[in-house]
Amino acid sequence: MSDTFHDQIVNILPKLRVQALALTRNRAMAEDLVQDAVCNALSAQTSFIPGTNFGAWMHRILRNRFISDLRKKRETTDIDDTPQSLLAVGARHDDRLALQELDAALARLPDDQREALVLGVLEGMSYQELAEISGCAVGTAKSRVFRARRQLETWLTADTPSASRRESVKNISRKTLSHEKNCPSPVRNGLNHGTVEQNRSRAVVAGV
Amino acid sequence: MTDTPPPRKTRKKQGDQAFDVWLKRGLHQLFDDVVNEPMPEELLRLIQEDRAKQD
Repeated sequence: MSDTFHDQIVNILPKLRVQALALTRNRAMAEDLVQDAVCNALSAQTSFIPGTNFGAWMHRILRNRFISDLRKKRETTDIDDTPQSLLAVGARHDDRLALQELDAALARLPDDQREALVLGVLEGMSYQELAEISGCAVGTAKSRVFRARRQLETWLTADTPSASRRESVKNISRKTLSHEKNCPSPVRNGLNHGTVEQNRSRAVVAGV
Repeated sequence: MTDTPPPRKTRKKQGDQAFDVWLKRGLHQLFDDVVNEPMPEELLRLIQEDRAKQD
């Protein structure tokens, strides 16, 4: 049984990294957070009930560790501390500008919204899974994803004095959608903003 | 039959879809390189040592 537990920890490490990076927005801090969370999990392994959702249990441990550390430090993440390595090195110039905008906008989101959006989009977690991780209602998890996405869209596509950068995001969005139409994807589930939910209520963004 | 622009709701939906596609791609570009790096040896060793202790 303990072998299975340790194997599950090793297998989930990349997903923990995504969550840690979404929460801390700092690579070094994310690595520390993952390691601390793993230590906590190893110490508490007798409290894990085999057969229950290990992923949710592990993600919750990481999240609680993040909140606990935050309370101790009483700091907020400064986007200027965001390592440049988070940005795509090989991106074209206009793509890079848009990515910088996205990176800065993500930093402005509340932690719980950013975490829900990133886990939902990158890991394909359902609203139910997001709710289990953060200890909230499914409706709350859905609301966090919806608000995060809507806020990002407002910041990144609104007509403001930074219109040139916004325009680059709009243009890239249009080009991306055009390209996606020519490359059919088996997955076409969009975020459900008030539309009828599919059976599993997956928070998967339309596209790839 | 004259060509008319798509209704506002359709244009908005297309815009939302375009943004969703772009957002997903952008998040992957921001996160993938870091996430796909090898796990620190220290962390893997920590897990392995605990596994050995349990046996």
